Amino acid sequence: MNVLTRIGAVIMAMIMLVMLLTGCWNRRELNAISVVLAMGIDWVDKQYQISVQVSDPSQMSINRSVGERSPAIVFTERAPTIFEALRKITTKASRRMYLSHMRIVILDEEVAKRGIRNPLDFLFRDHEVRPDFHMVVARGCSAKEILSFVTPMEVLPAMDLYKSLKVSERAWAPTSAVNVVDMMQKSTKDGIEPVLTGITLVGNRKKGMKMDNIKQPRSLAEYNYTGIGVMLDDRIVGWLNESDSKGYSFITNNVHSTVGHVACPDSKGNFVVEVYNSKVKITPSIRNGKPFVSVELRSEANIGEYHCQADLTEIQVFSQLQQAAREEQKKVLENSIIHVQKRFGADIFGFGEYFHMKYPGQWQAWKKIWPDVFQNELKFEVIVKSELRKTGKITNSVH
Amino acid sequence: MTAEGFSPLLHANMERMKLLMGYSSDFIVRELVIAGNKKTAIFFLDGMVDKTELQNGVISALLDRTPVDSVNLQFLKDQVLDAGEVQVIRTVQAALEQIFSGSLFIMLDGTVDGLGVTMPGWEDRSITESKTQSVVRGPQDSFTETLRTNTTLVRRRVKDTRLRLISLRVGKMTKTDVAVMYMDGMADDKLVRQLIGRLQASKQDRVLEGEYLEEILHVKKQVSLFPTIYNSDRPDSIAAGIMEGKVALFVDGTPFVMLTPALFIDFIQSAEDYYQSPLYSNLIRMLRYVSLAICLLAPSVYIALTTFHQDMLPTQLLLSLAAQREGVPLPAFIEALLMEATFEILREAGIRMPRTIGQAVSIVGTIVIGQAAVEASIVSAAMVIIVAITAIASFVIPSYSMSIPIRIIRFVFMALSASFGIFGLTIGIILLVVHLSHLKSFGIPYLSPAAPFHASNQNDAIFRMPFWRSSKGQTRQDKSS
Repeated sequence: MNVLTRIGAVIMAMIMLVMLLTGCWNRRELNAISVVLAMGIDWVDKQYQISVQVSDPSQMSINRSVGERSPAIVFTERAPTIFEALRKITTKASRRMYLSHMRIVILDEEVAKRGIRNPLDFLFRDHEVRPDFHMVVARGCSAKEILSFVTPMEVLPAMDLYKSLKVSERAWAPTSAVNVVDMMQKSTKDGIEPVLTGITLVGNRKKGMKMDNIKQPRSLAEYNYTGIGVMLDDRIVGWLNESDSKGYSFITNNVHSTVGHVACPDSKGNFVVEVYNSKVKITPSIRNGKPFVSVELRSEANIGEYHCQADLTEIQVFSQLQQAAREEQKKVLENSIIHVQKRFGADIFGFGEYFHMKYPGQWQAWKKIWPDVFQNELKFEVIVKSELRKTGKITNSVH
Repeated sequence: MTAEGFSPLLHANMERMKLLMGYSSDFIVRELVIAGNKKTAIFFLDGMVDKTELQNGVISALLDRTPVDSVNLQFLKDQVLDAGEVQVIRTVQAALEQIFSGSLFIMLDGTVDGLGVTMPGWEDRSITESKTQSVVRGPQDSFTETLRTNTTLVRRRVKDTRLRLISLRVGKMTKTDVAVMYMDGMADDKLVRQLIGRLQASKQDRVLEGEYLEEILHVKKQVSLFPTIYNSDRPDSIAAGIMEGKVALFVDGTPFVMLTPALFIDFIQSAEDYYQSPLYSNLIRMLRYVSLAICLLAPSVYIALTTFHQDMLPTQLLLSLAAQREGVPLPAFIEALLMEATFEILREAGIRMPRTIGQAVSIVGTIVIGQAAVEASIVSAAMVIIVAITAIASFVIPSYSMSIPIRIIRFVFMALSASFGIFGLTIGIILLVVHLSHLKSFGIPYLSPAAPFHASNQNDAIFRMPFWRSSKGQTRQDKSS
């Protein structure tokens, strides 16, 4: 009996403690929530226009009737703030929006230009949102349009967008899958500026939003990740082209694998190098009181395609190719830095961070004026120590 | 009344015995005249003594071999009767006890004593394979309902003079033979004395199975779902336990022998762990721990994750689960409760029903539960999977008496996680661990050697070390020499 009372007391104490743990948990059945997979934020009529893409669960099961109902549903609502807009959606939907599984947030260019801090505030403040989603900026179309678009591969457009972003970042360098935590850290730190990848729709947009879009092998409209958007503070100030975007990925050590063409050293045509290992080392120094960075790239690459005339079996030819590849890489990196420096003055490479770490004293003086210092005073050199390794399964081209 | 002695008149004694037995039709009194003129009576219960032996060893011997001159009990005992065990009996009480346990009782006219001749000859079950704990490799014999057969099965495995056997009789009506077996010098003397004392002091009317005694053996009346006395019908498990210094308790009439003290790990170890290579045995043990966890937690974790913590599931899995729950009218908890209860009903039916209709139950079970319920959208397919894996996992626990508390606590955990999510479940687990650490089996902490931790006793705790490293293969003397 004594034991029982003691156990009883312990149980009571624990249950009372549990009562205090009201935080981010709540009882809700799976069929009472709508899983939001993607969110779009547009700026329309001086209001935020929120679009959420949720999955239709009945269309996710194996025995779904294909084609009768869309697997994804998009709800849109406008309000001066995001939270209000989101809650207003309940007037249109039968279920509560569940934000924990949001994979991707699409901002339109207008929002990105006005500053993303305000829209992001809600996404960080709300307990339900997990800060692990990716962010992209819609170029030349609205976020709502991208969310309403029917994608060919994945049943759920949000998953298609998300996976495509992840895959292209790994296999094709000029995109950057920007995680929101990353984004927030970079925009609050001094000496480094965030970037965002752009997305656009090409083809017949109107038809792309109907199920007809995927009823033939060639989709009527496609989405396309294009270029990296440079941000200053929390505003987007411009876009990098493909080559500069690639340079950015190299310098920030984001290249897992990429391919690029290089002009043949002694004949017409190009050859392709497939970079499979790349590492950039950045060494800051101060020369004559001015900041100077040395960017050293070490990469390993294979020949992936070969259109040149020279005999690939000869060792000199191979070294010539290697030299050409190095020069090309050097050019890409240098152009990337110069363009960012001169056009935008936004230190997206994070050179400031390196100075901060190595010269904390000097950094105090530069901290406030760093964008200006970066744009006008920073000098740099690019050293490329890349190696060409293999030629693939054949040596010379098949004639 | 029955504690009195006999009268010198045989006739009076016969009448008295018949009266005491209420003239039962199976109580036989055989009258003989031996040595020319000596009246003799043999008392026995029909069906409890060996008729052939009775004829050859007793009746023939008495009639043929008794010389005319000196007829007395001592002479009969020493020179006439062809029987292994004969003893002089002085009271009516003792005589009845002898008769009830399959002995003959012989009286001569003119004497106040009688002879008890042990000659049991009832029908019993032969030694068969263990039905509750079968092994692939290892001894296949199991205990029977006969006490002597059972003690012999152990005795044959432990050929050591230190093996002790103490017999008692418990139960006012059943007068059940109970035997306590232990290794002298290895078992805790205090525990043996305590057990015997408690058995002697018991005022039970009947003892039909070990459980009748189990409940009176505990020192403190502790309330727990968990078994603190191990039972098995495998002679090798009991022999191994005795050689580890545990005390075995045999009860006549049941093939299940009890072993104390019993720890938590005893119930999740199988005899086969020692009959297969250590590597394999340990992998199987790990599988068993995982199964234990699945059996205990799978439904409650599923409920907690799908109704409270959807953010902990991978997105694709969440979408797939959501798709399955679409159209299911019940909350996940009710759904799980319904399925688990249905399974428990099926299991209980499977145990109790006559063997011949076993097919019917399994067909109804699989079709109704597995298929129809899902197709009718009453339960989701995922829930059927969860219930199925839970059920299968519960059969992995080697000891049935351990799977019972696990099955019960599972329902408590389901309720906790349905009302408080993972928080409730965590608190449930904490309480369970608190309870288990509090529990003792005859003075030994239930969770030892894990809690309290004994570094020297880890050879066969969670994992079984090879015999060349563990003390199990050798006795204490071997180690000290």
